[in-house]
Amino acid sequence: MVEAQEDFIQERETIIIKGNVAAAYAAKSARVQVISAYPITPQTTVVEKLSEFVDNGEMPGTEYIKVESEHTVMASIIGASTAGTRTFTATSGQGLFYMYEMVHWAAGARLPIVTTIASRAPAPPWNIWADFTDVISCRDTGWMISFAANHQEIYDDVLMSYKISEDYDILLPKFVAYGGFTLSHTSKPVTIEDQDAVDNFLPPLPDERGWPHIFLDPERPMMHGNLIMPSGFYNEFRLKIHHTMLLAKDKIKEVAKEFESTFGRHYGNGLIQEYKMNDADVAIINYGELAMQMEQAVDDLREEGYKVGCVKLRYFRPFPVEDIINVARKVKVLGVADRATAFGSPTGGPVSCEVKSALYNSGVSTQILPIIMGLGGREVTLEQQKNQLKILINLNETGEFPKDMIDGTFWDGLLEVE
Amino acid sequence: MSNDTDMEKIVEVTFHGRGGQTAITASQLLAQLAYEKGFKDAIAIPIIGAERRGAPIQAFSKLSRNKQIKTFDSVKNPDYMIIFDTSLLNIPSIMATIKSGVTLVINSKNPIDTCEFPENIRYYIVDATGICIKQNFMHSSGPILNIPMLGAFGKITGYYDIDTMKKVIYKEFGETRGKKNIEVAIEAYNSVKEVEYE
Repeated sequence: MVEAQEDFIQERETIIIKGNVAAAYAAKSARVQVISAYPITPQTTVVEKLSEFVDNGEMPGTEYIKVESEHTVMASIIGASTAGTRTFTATSGQGLFYMYEMVHWAAGARLPIVTTIASRAPAPPWNIWADFTDVISCRDTGWMISFAANHQEIYDDVLMSYKISEDYDILLPKFVAYGGFTLSHTSKPVTIEDQDAVDNFLPPLPDERGWPHIFLDPERPMMHGNLIMPSGFYNEFRLKIHHTMLLAKDKIKEVAKEFESTFGRHYGNGLIQEYKMNDADVAIINYGELAMQMEQAVDDLREEGYKVGCVKLRYFRPFPVEDIINVARKVKVLGVADRATAFGSPTGGPVSCEVKSALYNSGVSTQILPIIMGLGGREVTLEQQKNQLKILINLNETGEFPKDMIDGTFWDGLLEVE
Repeated sequence: MSNDTDMEKIVEVTFHGRGGQTAITASQLLAQLAYEKGFKDAIAIPIIGAERRGAPIQAFSKLSRNKQIKTFDSVKNPDYMIIFDTSLLNIPSIMATIKSGVTLVINSKNPIDTCEFPENIRYYIVDATGICIKQNFMHSSGPILNIPMLGAFGKITGYYDIDTMKKVIYKEFGETRGKKNIEVAIEAYNSVKEVEYE
């Protein structure tokens, strides 16, 4: 640990930085106490930047651990969090898969760990570019999963994450995912907030007594990692995690509201963010940076006189079922665009499946068009997204689906294969 | 010298260089320079693969005076193209992006062959390599071209001046390392010239 002579105080400033650097600044602003790191593209510059901060004495009191694999990253973070510290790490794609055993453990132990994911396509074939299949594959781990749609949102969402995760009613870990390269390596203006303002917004760092439910303290011995027999409380523990996940929806909304009143930046109701939805005939749901780019597509089509809207899905877990039903109620046709796959599922796209499932028995019969695009970092252009809206408009007006539907899903931007 | 007066327009710039010629950093620095000079929003978009030294590299910047930039996609119809290496103009896919109305800023001592240019192209040359060699502004694989190219671009567009470069570069690299950058930028700023051709 670097012994800083005095506290390092970050002043509010707006700087042009990469998405990865925004994630690192957020961890610094949150005064995380333990960082465990192993490099993997495209996340690497997150932990590189943090090591620079620690080395420069800009993160007094932070322990930076270098380990030999992602599995150990999460194992060491679990140890640190169990001892009662605020923890942070970052990973991507294969690194996350290697970490997977410990990912389940962190949620089962109810540890409020925050981890950023610069999302990367699974191999083979090797591919280091944007694709959310990595974080989506943690769907059933018990981690909360959110998406950031721009550079500022990465910083903001990491801060919100600590407030949500560390709430004693929640105590679940959380992933903040954003597109590898599309956000991790592009640069935009990001406002880094005053240290005092962040300190006031976040809960105080845990004291030496740690979290209320789990601790490593010789004065208060506690058994960890013990076996539970089938007749024990295993089912009840699992039910509690599910129940907490549902409870977290209110907490997420509350924190987003508080964030807006503190820092002035608006993120919808926390779970979703609607854009020009009030009089829209058709709309589309996106997540990650393509949700922001879709806003431009909506603006452009509105100028041409089309009544279109879009929705940014901020959370995948917990899934905002009620909000999705409300959104679907507003329009006649709703596109759901996935930059991820769910092989063999009803639509092939993970979020479009969730949306369809949310609408079952809701009494809403909105036509859903599942879309899959941009896998493995394939570029999704503004023109392509405008075309998706036009497809929805056409579907609404004529009932015609695009010609190249494959098993009920529109795979946009496929190469011609002979 | 700026030729676009539409305040609502998002200015789009492409950088073409070879691995090691610092074109990717140039796109980031351009975003910083514009933002420092009062543009409301800016984004730098590098295209990152598994490039080696010498392989063709592309990066983009979008600069906006008034509007928020919401797109992350690559630039297809640039207002400006900054060419770090004239040999890249032999690549058909790069030549194909040179469209009527674009302004080129080329690292070259001498005027270049324009016979394949479409109509209505303006182009400027600056001997960035020569300036770097003369001022010994080099890194392990050659001249650090981004600073002179950005010096030239500032002069051509009027988007920022040497004072802005000083502010941004001193903040980024410190005053000691930054001084040489500014000397190089000034020489390029003063020596870039438009080539008239038929």
